[in-house]
Amino acid sequence: MAKTKTLNKRRKSIRSIRKITRTMELISTACYRRAMDRAVNARAFTERLTRMVRNLAVSGAEVSHPLLTAHAEEKNVTLLVLSSNRGLCGGYNGSILRVAYQRWKELLSGEKVANPALVVSGKRGISYFRFRKVQPSQTYTQFEDKPTFDEVDQIAQEYLEMYLTGKLDRLEIVYTKFFSMSKQAVVHETLLPLTEIGSGDDGASQEVKGIAEYDFLPSAESILSEVVPQSFKAKLFKCFLDAAVSEQIARMVAMKAATENADSMIQTLTMAVNRSRQSQITGELTELIGGVEALK
Amino acid sequence: MELKCVVVTPEKTVLDQAAESITLPLYDGEYGIEWNHTPLIGRLGAGLLRLRKGDRVDAYYVSGGFVEVLANTVSLMTARAIPAAEITLAKADAAMVEAKAKPGKSVQEMEIRDQAMREARAMLRIANRKHSS
Repeated sequence: MAKTKTLNKRRKSIRSIRKITRTMELISTACYRRAMDRAVNARAFTERLTRMVRNLAVSGAEVSHPLLTAHAEEKNVTLLVLSSNRGLCGGYNGSILRVAYQRWKELLSGEKVANPALVVSGKRGISYFRFRKVQPSQTYTQFEDKPTFDEVDQIAQEYLEMYLTGKLDRLEIVYTKFFSMSKQAVVHETLLPLTEIGSGDDGASQEVKGIAEYDFLPSAESILSEVVPQSFKAKLFKCFLDAAVSEQIARMVAMKAATENADSMIQTLTMAVNRSRQSQITGELTELIGGVEALK
Repeated sequence: MELKCVVVTPEKTVLDQAAESITLPLYDGEYGIEWNHTPLIGRLGAGLLRLRKGDRVDAYYVSGGFVEVLANTVSLMTARAIPAAEITLAKADAAMVEAKAKPGKSVQEMEIRDQAMREARAMLRIANRKHSS
């Protein structure tokens, strides 16, 4: 009797958990669509920027900019970690933080880096580093599933100013890069000094159109020097977008697995409940028959 | 005889429409583009972008960036593109106050502050233009 009751109770609670995971799966699917749209929209900008840089390069402009040159001494290194604000997304935060913590330890033990700083975005990352007794110099929690360019622009501007004024010698970032629907990976990249402008690694079309003779206003060099900060901002923005998309995918996958697991648990529990109920009925029947037999 | 005008920001494509003539703010003043313009790459300043088609004129505030003209397609890459109607005096004033509050101790810091002030001034101009007309 008691056994059936507890089994039923468990089945009920798993059912309600399944409802939650199922809903979260649907929500994250919708969020993923939105985040993906934003990432696709953002691509138009980087593609055009890359194309323009190529056209400038064809016209023979020399690329030199303070953001492209590494500082001689790398004392101030900032490590930027993009994690999520909310959990329940499988191994998403775990794998980011593992790489980030590894890199952080390397920075601490390195002799050249006198003054490493840690910047963490996302509550999950903040609590992880608090647990490890690491004090981040700055934290952000305002980036949810749709980071806006204005928000990222502020941060980018800060870093640009710090780099140009010599308060920052290198900016590194750890985030989850989005390759395709089925492949996202944690990457560790150096954002400043910039290695290439235009971030042409996102599959921007490489075909060279008929080379047009461009007029430059004011001059190719001056335009290039303006392109470089823009391209850094676009690059940082893309990191945030990638992280948002990857987070939603990770949550989608985790919640799908959780729902499926709940389904199979409900199935086994239902079987166990039925069996115990049946054996209870059988027991009662044999008792009854036994009683009747004894009365004869 | 129409130009195609595309305005992209890092977030999205703000505008993709046809126009007969386009006036855009280059770094040193306004620049007009019509049909069959020579290929051009230019630096934008903060200011007013106007697209004219017939009697209709659409106006946008752009905050600098670049323009590329090629084969009657004008593409603008800018950090911000806002319909001019949405720029109010209050917003422009707020931007100005914010720009003035920036530190200006070194050359770089001053450059950054000047840039912010130029953008705020352009916003003020647009807001005032509306106000007076």
